[in-house]
Amino acid sequence: MKVLSISRKVFMIIALGIIFVGSPVYSHHSTAMFNQEQVLSLSGTIKEFQFTNPHTWVQVLVKDERGQEVEWSLEWGSPNTLGRQGIRPSTFPAGAGVTIRTYPMKDGSPGGLFIGARFADGKTIGRWE
Amino acid sequence: MTGGTIFDQATKTGEGGSTTPGVREHPPYNADFEERYQANLALRDAGIFPDPNSFCGIPTGYPRLMNLPDVYEFAVTEKQVWIITENGPNVMRIYTDGRQHPAREDMWPTHTGDSIGYWEGDTLVFDTLSLHSSESGNTIIDRTGLVLSEAAHIVTRMHVNDQGMMEVQMTINDEKALTAPWVVTKLYRKLEEGARVYDYACNENNRNPIDPKTGWTYTIGPDGKIMDVNPGQ
Repeated sequence: MKVLSISRKVFMIIALGIIFVGSPVYSHHSTAMFNQEQVLSLSGTIKEFQFTNPHTWVQVLVKDERGQEVEWSLEWGSPNTLGRQGIRPSTFPAGAGVTIRTYPMKDGSPGGLFIGARFADGKTIGRWE
Repeated sequence: MTGGTIFDQATKTGEGGSTTPGVREHPPYNADFEERYQANLALRDAGIFPDPNSFCGIPTGYPRLMNLPDVYEFAVTEKQVWIITENGPNVMRIYTDGRQHPAREDMWPTHTGDSIGYWEGDTLVFDTLSLHSSESGNTIIDRTGLVLSEAAHIVTRMHVNDQGMMEVQMTINDEKALTAPWVVTKLYRKLEEGARVYDYACNENNRNPIDPKTGWTYTIGPDGKIMDVNPGQ
Protein backbone atom coordinates (compact mmCIF):
# COMPACT_ATOMS: atom_id res chain seq x y z
CA MET A 1 0.00 0.00 0.00
CA LYS A 2 1.37 3.38 -0.98
CA VAL A 3 1.46 5.91 1.87
CA LEU A 4 0.99 9.50 0.84
CA SER A 5 3.70 11.66 2.34
CA ILE A 6 2.79 15.28 2.76
CA SER A 7 4.52 18.08 4.59
CA ARG A 8 1.41 20.05 5.40
CA LYS A 9 -2.29 19.52 5.49
CA VAL A 10 -4.01 20.21 2.22
CA PHE A 11 -7.60 21.31 2.27
CA MET A 12 -9.56 21.41 -0.93
CA ILE A 13 -12.91 23.06 -0.93
CA ILE A 14 -15.15 21.51 -3.50
CA ALA A 15 -18.79 22.28 -4.06
CA LEU A 16 -21.45 20.14 -5.65
CA GLY A 17 -21.83 21.49 -9.15
CA ILE A 18 -23.48 19.30 -11.76
CA ILE A 19 -26.67 18.51 -9.87
CA PHE A 20 -27.45 21.98 -8.67
CA VAL A 21 -27.56 24.05 -11.85
CA GLY A 22 -30.48 26.41 -11.36
CA SER A 23 -30.16 26.50 -7.58
CA PRO A 24 -32.88 24.19 -6.28
CA VAL A 25 -34.26 24.57 -2.79
CA TYR A 26 -33.33 21.57 -0.70
CA SER A 27 -36.02 20.54 1.74
CA HIS A 28 -35.23 18.22 4.60
CA HIS A 29 -38.95 17.52 4.74
CA SER A 30 -41.93 16.99 2.49
CA THR A 31 -43.31 19.94 0.50
CA ALA A 32 -46.70 18.25 0.08
CA MET A 33 -48.42 21.02 2.04
CA PHE A 34 -47.78 23.52 -0.77
CA ASN A 35 -49.90 23.81 -3.92
CA GLN A 36 -47.24 23.85 -6.63
CA GLU A 37 -49.82 24.01 -9.42
CA GLN A 38 -50.69 27.60 -8.53
CA VAL A 39 -48.59 30.74 -8.09
CA LEU A 40 -50.04 33.30 -5.67
CA SER A 41 -49.01 36.94 -5.80
CA LEU A 42 -49.10 38.94 -2.55
CA SER A 43 -48.29 42.58 -1.84
CA GLY A 44 -47.34 43.87 1.58
CA THR A 45 -44.50 45.01 3.79
CA ILE A 46 -41.64 43.02 5.22
CA LYS A 47 -41.92 42.30 8.92
CA GLU A 48 -38.83 40.13 9.29
CA PHE A 49 -36.36 38.02 7.32
CA GLN A 50 -35.34 35.03 9.45
CA PHE A 51 -31.87 34.18 8.09
CA THR A 52 -31.68 30.80 9.82
CA ASN A 53 -31.21 27.11 9.24
CA PRO A 54 -32.65 24.79 8.16
CA HIS A 55 -34.79 27.28 6.18
CA THR A 56 -34.90 31.05 5.88
CA TRP A 57 -38.34 32.62 6.28
CA VAL A 58 -39.66 35.85 4.77
CA GLN A 59 -42.36 37.24 7.07
CA VAL A 60 -44.67 39.64 5.22
CA LEU A 61 -47.62 41.71 6.51
CA VAL A 62 -50.43 41.54 3.96
CA LYS A 63 -53.86 43.17 4.16
CA ASP A 64 -56.69 40.68 3.60
CA GLU A 65 -60.07 41.40 1.91
CA ARG A 66 -61.36 43.00 5.09
CA GLY A 67 -58.37 45.30 5.39
CA GLN A 68 -56.99 43.29 8.32
CA GLU A 69 -53.24 42.79 8.46
CA VAL A 70 -52.21 39.12 8.28
CA GLU A 71 -48.64 37.90 8.71
CA TRP A 72 -47.61 35.51 5.94
CA SER A 73 -44.71 33.05 6.37
CA LEU A 74 -42.81 32.27 3.15
CA GLU A 75 -40.31 29.42 3.37
CA TRP A 76 -37.04 29.59 1.40
CA GLY A 77 -33.65 27.84 1.27
CA SER A 78 -30.86 27.73 3.84
CA PRO A 79 -28.50 30.69 4.48
CA ASN A 80 -25.68 28.39 3.34
CA THR A 81 -27.17 27.90 -0.12
CA LEU A 82 -28.72 31.36 -0.51
CA GLY A 83 -25.68 33.15 0.94
CA ARG A 84 -23.61 31.84 -1.95
CA GLN A 85 -26.17 33.34 -4.34
CA GLY A 86 -25.75 36.80 -2.83
CA ILE A 87 -28.69 36.75 -0.41
CA ARG A 88 -27.96 38.45 2.94
CA PRO A 89 -29.85 39.09 6.18
CA SER A 90 -30.30 42.64 4.84
CA THR A 91 -31.93 41.47 1.58
CA PHE A 92 -35.42 41.95 3.03
CA PRO A 93 -35.34 45.06 5.28
CA ALA A 94 -38.19 45.45 7.76
CA GLY A 95 -40.77 47.90 6.49
CA ALA A 96 -39.91 47.52 2.80
CA GLY A 97 -42.84 47.32 0.38
CA VAL A 98 -42.71 44.11 -1.65
CA THR A 99 -44.68 41.83 -3.98
CA ILE A 100 -44.08 38.16 -3.36
CA ARG A 101 -44.72 35.17 -5.62
CA THR A 102 -45.33 31.94 -3.75
CA TYR A 103 -46.73 28.42 -3.97
CA PRO A 104 -49.39 28.77 -1.27
CA MET A 105 -50.39 26.32 1.47
CA LYS A 106 -53.10 23.96 0.24
CA ASP A 107 -55.31 24.52 3.28
CA GLY A 108 -55.44 28.30 2.90
CA SER A 109 -53.33 29.16 5.94
CA PRO A 110 -51.11 32.25 5.47
CA GLY A 111 -47.95 30.52 4.28
CA GLY A 112 -46.19 29.26 1.21
CA LEU A 113 -43.00 28.25 -0.54
CA PHE A 114 -41.11 31.38 -1.61
CA ILE A 115 -40.52 31.76 -5.36
CA GLY A 116 -39.49 35.39 -5.86
CA ALA A 117 -40.03 38.98 -4.82
CA ARG A 118 -40.04 42.44 -6.36
CA PHE A 119 -39.43 45.67 -4.48
CA ALA A 120 -41.04 49.05 -5.23
CA ASP A 121 -37.92 50.17 -7.10
CA GLY A 122 -38.21 47.20 -9.47
CA LYS A 123 -35.39 45.15 -7.96
CA THR A 124 -36.20 41.44 -7.99
CA ILE A 125 -35.03 38.59 -5.77
CA GLY A 126 -35.23 34.87 -6.54
CA ARG A 127 -37.26 33.70 -9.53
CA TRP A 128 -39.41 36.44 -11.03
CA GLU A 129 -40.86 36.11 -14.50
CA MET B 1 -37.20 23.78 -8.27
CA THR B 2 -38.01 22.37 -4.87
CA GLY B 3 -37.52 19.16 -3.03
CA GLY B 4 -34.63 16.83 -2.47
CA THR B 5 -32.16 15.54 -5.00
CA ILE B 6 -31.73 12.26 -6.83
CA PHE B 7 -28.77 10.09 -5.85
CA ASP B 8 -28.00 8.66 -9.27
CA GLN B 9 -29.23 10.72 -12.21
CA ALA B 10 -28.10 7.93 -14.55
CA THR B 11 -30.69 5.49 -13.21
CA LYS B 12 -33.54 7.93 -12.82
CA THR B 13 -36.78 7.91 -14.77
CA GLY B 14 -39.29 10.73 -14.78
CA GLU B 15 -38.85 14.48 -14.69
CA GLY B 16 -38.26 16.38 -11.50
CA GLY B 17 -36.60 15.88 -8.16
CA SER B 18 -36.77 13.07 -5.67
CA THR B 19 -39.99 14.40 -4.12
CA THR B 20 -41.82 14.58 -7.46
CA PRO B 21 -44.42 11.81 -7.83
CA GLY B 22 -43.61 9.42 -10.64
CA VAL B 23 -39.84 9.99 -10.49
CA ARG B 24 -37.79 7.02 -9.38
CA GLU B 25 -34.40 5.34 -9.67
CA HIS B 26 -33.58 1.84 -10.87
CA PRO B 27 -30.76 0.28 -8.88
CA PRO B 28 -30.39 -3.47 -9.59
CA TYR B 29 -32.68 -4.41 -6.69
CA ASN B 30 -33.79 -7.97 -6.06
CA ALA B 31 -37.54 -8.59 -5.78
CA ASP B 32 -37.63 -8.10 -2.00
CA PHE B 33 -35.93 -4.70 -2.03
CA GLU B 34 -37.80 -3.55 -5.14
CA GLU B 35 -40.99 -4.18 -3.17
CA ARG B 36 -39.66 -2.18 -0.21
CA TYR B 37 -38.67 0.64 -2.59
CA GLN B 38 -42.15 0.66 -4.16
CA ALA B 39 -43.67 1.02 -0.70
CA ASN B 40 -41.36 3.97 0.00
CA LEU B 41 -42.25 5.58 -3.33
CA ALA B 42 -45.93 5.38 -2.41
CA LEU B 43 -45.23 7.18 0.87
CA ARG B 44 -43.17 9.74 -1.05
CA ASP B 45 -46.05 10.32 -3.47
CA ALA B 46 -48.36 10.96 -0.52
CA GLY B 47 -45.87 13.42 0.99
CA ILE B 48 -45.36 11.34 4.12
CA PHE B 49 -42.11 9.48 3.44
CA PRO B 50 -40.17 9.35 6.75
CA ASP B 51 -36.86 11.03 5.94
CA PRO B 52 -34.51 10.75 8.95
CA ASN B 53 -32.98 14.14 8.05
CA SER B 54 -36.34 15.75 8.86
CA PHE B 55 -35.82 15.02 12.52
CA CYS B 56 -32.47 16.83 12.82
CA GLY B 57 -29.46 15.44 14.61
CA ILE B 58 -29.14 12.03 12.92
CA PRO B 59 -26.04 11.77 10.71
CA THR B 60 -26.82 11.61 7.02
CA GLY B 61 -24.76 8.47 6.54
CA TYR B 62 -22.89 7.02 3.59
CA PRO B 63 -23.45 7.08 0.64
CA ARG B 64 -26.22 9.69 1.04
CA LEU B 65 -23.78 12.29 2.36
CA MET B 66 -22.21 12.43 -1.11
CA ASN B 67 -25.53 13.81 -2.35
CA LEU B 68 -26.07 16.92 -0.23
CA PRO B 69 -26.33 20.56 -1.20
CA ASP B 70 -23.68 23.15 -0.25
CA VAL B 71 -19.98 22.70 0.26
CA TYR B 72 -17.72 19.67 0.64
CA GLU B 73 -14.20 19.70 2.02
CA PHE B 74 -11.85 16.82 1.28
CA ALA B 75 -9.14 17.06 3.93
CA VAL B 76 -6.07 14.95 3.29
CA THR B 77 -3.71 14.19 6.16
CA GLU B 78 -0.96 11.59 6.58
CA LYS B 79 -3.08 8.96 8.24
CA GLN B 80 -6.68 9.92 7.47
CA VAL B 81 -8.81 11.59 4.84
CA TRP B 82 -11.90 13.43 6.04
CA ILE B 83 -14.93 14.21 3.91
CA ILE B 84 -16.61 17.12 5.67
CA THR B 85 -20.03 18.24 4.44
CA GLU B 86 -21.35 21.69 5.29
CA ASN B 87 -24.94 20.40 5.21
CA GLY B 88 -25.63 18.27 8.24
CA PRO B 89 -22.89 18.74 9.07
CA ASN B 90 -21.25 15.37 8.52
CA VAL B 91 -17.74 13.99 8.87
CA MET B 92 -16.67 10.79 7.16
CA ARG B 93 -13.28 9.41 8.25
CA ILE B 94 -11.18 7.21 6.00
CA TYR B 95 -8.17 5.59 7.67
CA THR B 96 -5.14 5.50 5.38
CA ASP B 97 -2.64 4.41 8.01
CA GLY B 98 -2.58 0.81 6.84
CA ARG B 99 -5.06 -0.58 9.33
CA GLN B 100 -7.59 -3.23 8.29
CA HIS B 101 -11.29 -3.44 9.14
CA PRO B 102 -11.92 -4.79 12.64
CA ALA B 103 -13.03 -8.43 12.97
CA ARG B 104 -16.70 -8.91 12.19
CA GLU B 105 -17.57 -9.53 15.84
CA ASP B 106 -15.89 -6.25 16.78
CA MET B 107 -17.93 -4.11 14.39
CA TRP B 108 -21.39 -2.63 14.81
CA PRO B 109 -23.35 -0.61 12.24
CA THR B 110 -22.87 3.15 12.16
CA HIS B 111 -24.08 5.85 9.80
CA THR B 112 -20.72 6.33 8.04
CA GLY B 113 -19.43 2.79 8.63
CA ASP B 114 -15.79 1.75 8.85
CA SER B 115 -13.61 2.99 5.98
CA ILE B 116 -10.04 1.98 5.17
CA GLY B 117 -8.21 3.39 2.18
CA TYR B 118 -5.02 3.73 0.23
CA TRP B 119 -3.63 5.82 -2.59
CA GLU B 120 -3.16 4.71 -6.17
CA GLY B 121 -1.15 7.68 -7.38
CA ASP B 122 -3.58 10.61 -7.08
CA THR B 123 -6.63 8.41 -6.61
CA LEU B 124 -7.94 7.63 -3.14
CA VAL B 125 -9.50 4.17 -2.98
CA PHE B 126 -11.45 3.20 0.12
CA ASP B 127 -13.55 0.31 1.32
CA THR B 128 -16.58 0.88 3.56
CA LEU B 129 -18.36 -1.71 5.69
CA SER B 130 -20.65 -1.83 8.69
CA LEU B 131 -23.22 0.73 7.54
CA HIS B 132 -26.62 1.13 9.16
CA SER B 133 -29.44 -0.24 7.07
CA SER B 134 -32.73 1.65 6.90
CA GLU B 135 -34.17 -0.73 9.49
CA SER B 136 -31.38 -0.62 12.03
CA GLY B 137 -30.41 3.00 11.93
CA ASN B 138 -32.68 5.20 9.92
CA THR B 139 -30.47 5.53 6.88
CA ILE B 140 -31.75 6.17 3.38
CA ILE B 141 -29.85 6.96 0.21
CA ASP B 142 -32.12 9.64 -1.20
CA ARG B 143 -35.61 11.03 -0.81
CA THR B 144 -37.17 8.75 -3.40
CA GLY B 145 -36.78 6.19 -0.59
CA LEU B 146 -33.77 4.19 -1.77
CA VAL B 147 -32.46 1.87 0.94
CA LEU B 148 -29.76 -0.77 1.39
CA SER B 149 -29.34 -3.67 3.81
CA GLU B 150 -26.78 -4.06 6.57
CA ALA B 151 -24.73 -6.16 4.11
CA ALA B 152 -23.84 -3.08 2.03
CA HIS B 153 -20.16 -2.96 1.10
CA ILE B 154 -18.99 0.06 -0.89
CA VAL B 155 -15.71 0.60 -2.73
CA THR B 156 -15.11 4.26 -3.57
CA ARG B 157 -12.55 5.78 -5.93
CA MET B 158 -11.93 9.51 -5.75
CA HIS B 159 -9.67 11.77 -7.80
CA VAL B 160 -9.55 15.19 -9.45
CA ASN B 161 -10.20 14.58 -13.15
CA ASP B 162 -8.82 16.33 -16.24
CA GLN B 163 -11.58 18.95 -16.05
CA GLY B 164 -10.51 19.85 -12.51
CA MET B 165 -13.58 18.28 -10.97
CA MET B 166 -13.54 15.88 -8.03
CA GLU B 167 -14.84 12.63 -9.48
CA VAL B 168 -16.24 10.12 -6.99
CA GLN B 169 -17.14 6.64 -8.20
CA MET B 170 -18.95 4.38 -5.73
CA THR B 171 -19.37 0.67 -6.43
CA ILE B 172 -22.16 -0.46 -4.14
CA ASN B 173 -22.38 -4.18 -3.37
CA ASP B 174 -25.20 -5.56 -1.28
CA GLU B 175 -25.89 -9.30 -1.49
CA LYS B 176 -29.19 -8.92 0.41
CA ALA B 177 -30.59 -6.07 -1.68
CA LEU B 178 -28.91 -6.02 -5.11
CA THR B 179 -28.58 -8.56 -7.91
CA ALA B 180 -25.42 -6.89 -9.23
CA PRO B 181 -22.93 -4.18 -8.20
CA TRP B 182 -24.41 -0.70 -8.59
CA VAL B 183 -21.92 1.90 -9.82
CA VAL B 184 -22.71 5.57 -9.15
CA THR B 185 -20.47 8.47 -10.18
CA LYS B 186 -20.75 11.99 -8.78
CA LEU B 187 -18.87 15.12 -9.78
CA TYR B 188 -18.00 18.15 -7.67
CA ARG B 189 -16.65 21.48 -8.92
CA LYS B 190 -14.02 23.49 -7.12
CA LEU B 191 -15.07 26.76 -5.48
CA GLU B 192 -13.11 29.97 -5.99
CA GLU B 193 -10.09 30.79 -3.78
CA GLY B 194 -11.13 32.38 -0.52
CA ALA B 195 -14.54 30.70 -0.46
CA ARG B 196 -15.95 30.18 3.02
CA VAL B 197 -17.71 27.28 4.64
CA TYR B 198 -20.36 27.95 7.25
CA ASP B 199 -21.92 25.89 9.97
CA TYR B 200 -25.39 24.40 9.76
CA ALA B 201 -27.74 23.86 12.68
CA CYS B 202 -30.82 21.91 11.68
CA ASN B 203 -32.64 22.75 14.91
CA GLU B 204 -31.78 26.46 14.89
CA ASN B 205 -35.21 27.49 13.60
CA ASN B 206 -36.94 24.31 12.50
CA ARG B 207 -40.54 25.34 11.75
CA ASN B 208 -41.51 22.04 10.12
CA PRO B 209 -42.24 19.41 12.77
CA ILE B 210 -43.30 15.97 11.57
CA ASP B 211 -46.42 14.33 13.02
CA PRO B 212 -45.02 11.00 14.32
CA LYS B 213 -48.36 9.20 13.76
CA THR B 214 -49.13 10.20 10.18
CA GLY B 215 -45.79 11.46 8.86
CA TRP B 216 -47.38 14.75 7.80
CA THR B 217 -45.07 17.79 7.74
CA TYR B 218 -46.59 20.71 9.65
CA THR B 219 -45.64 24.39 9.51
CA ILE B 220 -45.21 26.51 12.64
CA GLY B 221 -46.46 30.08 12.31
CA PRO B 222 -44.91 33.27 13.71
CA ASP B 223 -46.81 32.80 16.97
CA GLY B 224 -45.01 29.50 17.57
CA LYS B 225 -48.12 27.40 16.94
CA ILE B 226 -48.84 24.98 14.12
CA MET B 227 -50.61 26.98 11.42
CA ASP B 228 -51.86 24.34 8.99
CA VAL B 229 -54.20 21.40 9.04
CA ASN B 230 -53.20 17.78 8.44
CA PRO B 231 -55.49 16.66 5.56
CA GLY B 232 -55.45 13.12 6.95
CA GLN B 233 -57.18 14.18 10.15
